[in-house]
Amino acid sequence: MSTNIIVAGVGGQGSILASHILAEAAILAESRSPGGKKGNVRVGETFGAAMRGGAVASHVRFGEGVHGPLVSRGQADLVIALEPLEGLRIGVEYIRQGGIAVFNEERIPPVDVKVGAVRYPDIREIRAALEELGASVRVVSGNRLAERAGTAKALNIVMLGAAFQSGVLPFGEEILLEAIKRRVPRSFLDANLEAFKLGRESEHA
Amino acid sequence: MANSKLNQPAGSRVLLMGNEAIARGAIEAGLQLMAAYPGTPSSEVGEALIEARGEADYYIEWSTNEKIAFELAAGAAQVGARSITAMKNAGLNVAMDTYMTLPYGGVKGGMVIVVADDPDAHYSSTEQDTRLLASYAEIPCYEPMDQQEAKDMTRDAFELSEALELPVFVRSVSRISHASGDVTFGPARQERNQLGFNKHFKLPYRWNVYGAPGPVSKHRWLHGVLLKARDAANASPYNRLELVEGADVGVLSSGVAAAYTLEALDRLGLRPKVSFLKLGMIHPLPDLPVAELLAGISTLIVIEEGDPVLESMVRGFAQERAFPVKIRGKSYDPILPPFGEINADKATAAIAGAMQLPLEPDEREGKREKLRPLVAPRSSTLCAGCSHLGSYWALREALKEHKGVHIINGDIGCYEQGGYGLFASKINVSDEQSKRHPIRSAYEILDTIYVMGSGIGMAQGQAQAGYRDGKVVAVAGDSTFIHATLPAVVNAVYSRADITFLVLDNRWTAMTGHQVNPNTGVDTLGNETEGFDIPGVVRSLGVEMVRVVEAYRIDESRQAIAEALDFKGPSVVVLNGECMLQVLRRTKRTGGATRVDEQACTGCATCVQLGCPAVMFDKEKKKAKIDQSNCVDCGLCVQVCPHQAIAVEGA
Repeated sequence: MSTNIIVAGVGGQGSILASHILAEAAILAESRSPGGKKGNVRVGETFGAAMRGGAVASHVRFGEGVHGPLVSRGQADLVIALEPLEGLRIGVEYIRQGGIAVFNEERIPPVDVKVGAVRYPDIREIRAALEELGASVRVVSGNRLAERAGTAKALNIVMLGAAFQSGVLPFGEEILLEAIKRRVPRSFLDANLEAFKLGRESEHA
Repeated sequence: MANSKLNQPAGSRVLLMGNEAIARGAIEAGLQLMAAYPGTPSSEVGEALIEARGEADYYIEWSTNEKIAFELAAGAAQVGARSITAMKNAGLNVAMDTYMTLPYGGVKGGMVIVVADDPDAHYSSTEQDTRLLASYAEIPCYEPMDQQEAKDMTRDAFELSEALELPVFVRSVSRISHASGDVTFGPARQERNQLGFNKHFKLPYRWNVYGAPGPVSKHRWLHGVLLKARDAANASPYNRLELVEGADVGVLSSGVAAAYTLEALDRLGLRPKVSFLKLGMIHPLPDLPVAELLAGISTLIVIEEGDPVLESMVRGFAQERAFPVKIRGKSYDPILPPFGEINADKATAAIAGAMQLPLEPDEREGKREKLRPLVAPRSSTLCAGCSHLGSYWALREALKEHKGVHIINGDIGCYEQGGYGLFASKINVSDEQSKRHPIRSAYEILDTIYVMGSGIGMAQGQAQAGYRDGKVVAVAGDSTFIHATLPAVVNAVYSRADITFLVLDNRWTAMTGHQVNPNTGVDTLGNETEGFDIPGVVRSLGVEMVRVVEAYRIDESRQAIAEALDFKGPSVVVLNGECMLQVLRRTKRTGGATRVDEQACTGCATCVQLGCPAVMFDKEKKKAKIDQSNCVDCGLCVQVCPHQAIAVEGA
């Protein structure tokens, strides 16, 4: 059994940190269970060229039979979208039949849309597209919840909370919280723990 | 040792990026010197080693280019130190001269050359497969398949380098260097090599290829050492041979392609049915495991990314040993193309194709095809408030005063995005000899882009060939200026080339992640330095016409560029404007005060052409709008608006 997750977003939103927290949790879960390492943990990242504002998709894979860093087309169990268009971009190619997509609803329009060259799809169209591919879609007001937790930067952790609630992650809440504690800056820990809680409790539309 | 995730105790299982794993391998080997020039996807090797460095652990620097970095590592190894240099694919081309010559006599201390290739050219000008350059230079080459191997092979490469007295190559790719995996740490070597120098160390004139009896004797020595390197390749613990009795088909792979191959074999249910060999070192070719794989099979499938490197070597070997085997790879009757990245899906299709196995049809592909048009592109842009936006607008306005087809030669750095175009725009391709294309945004201003420093050289060729249909311009950033353009500036002065060279000085090596350079004002470890006087250097090289302006003052910049364009002979305009991301980090400045007066806005969309990602346009209202979430109040759009409809409130 392997788990395949993709965190999609725009540079600066914290998708890479979110993916590293998931990978760290996978390592922790194995270290706390008898037998130790059972499979590889991999994170495939695309970033680098554009300093800020570019599309970032971070692939997280762990479990038996995992070797390469990339989720294969149509094999993602879970897509966590920090930004709707990026969730659509990844979801269309990667979500598996029966997979789950958790979307933040707040858009960051690309320059192509800002200058009026192309249209930004409506969230209803995005939902319908992924449902057509056999996925179930949940939409969260991630930015609002992050701000309520104390910092807009905690959007990624809100979305981890919402993703945890989907039931796809094969480890317990305490493991994920431990990974969050290890990875987020100490001064923002309380806000992030609150963000996780709000994400878990969020009303899935 | 500094507090970094690389300094955790032996036995720790840590999630590391491939580049961090390489850095940890160097720490485990007792590193003494690291020198590099940043280049995506290799830069984090240096960054991780800077972060992990404690007082006096090892010397580390960002050098001014890859050749100099390579020479530092070589010099360190000559006096017996363990040294490493890391670069991107194109970086090796810069280091090539010394790189090709150093193996003639080799090294004393262990020297490791890390090169991160970039299949699919995510961050690069080409997809060049530098494994060929490891065999070209005749040095051993490791190819890790994951982050654990990246660490372990780097550590072992130091040992092998010292045993053979040859530099050793570790070839990574983006999917290793920029991917992360769980890595279990080994112990870090505490002792350090003693330093010493002997000019006739084991060989006459050891560090002098011309010393008697000359280069051929050292080339002969190199080939003797390569035989020992082959023994090491054969005995490598990173070779993985799964022989299946009676199997008719064998699969050969290495590096990250082997990770994809393992997944493909599982997916096709072939793991106990075909023989499989993954090689840890691909040069010299480990002939013993390859011979074991070839014995008894009639078809060999080679799964590799990039050029058919393994395939070509194995073809020669199979022919020499008369193995009656059909080899399927990239050369003849190909199952994979020699371009683009591969992945588990492509490896699966290639193996299934070669074995004529049915693949389950992807029933949802038709649906995806229908849904794809919904996915709007997200074009790469310069950052909101980037100084290059001001420089490019000033250049564009200055060029408007001249008729003709101007040539703007670009270079490598953030500002190369001035040649990316926007994905959604239509391109007018034609076969006219000379044609002026409109510059509709900052992303259409550059006409040529190749490699570091190539722009100013090509500009001289265009001008000296007699091109007079328009102005000839080159641009380069400050780090590129230092890295690769100084001889070209001297050349332009010496030959009186009629070109204008713009130096877009943002003080950082920004695109690769804000590394420092001599122009930044601090050194690699953060100590303040004198700084580097670009205008002074240009004048001292003999350029008579030099202007220095602020990139955020568009009209002054335009005027300076216009004067430079009018000047006969080489002219230089230095446009200063520190990288806005650095300014924001340092000053904690936030924007949000820039507004469009909807009454005054005529909907002309001139501001949109600036190319700032904070400038939006409402197509229905036909009005410009500022995206407050990323506007930094730099004031460039205020200066660009022909109707004074934009203002920074309170400014």
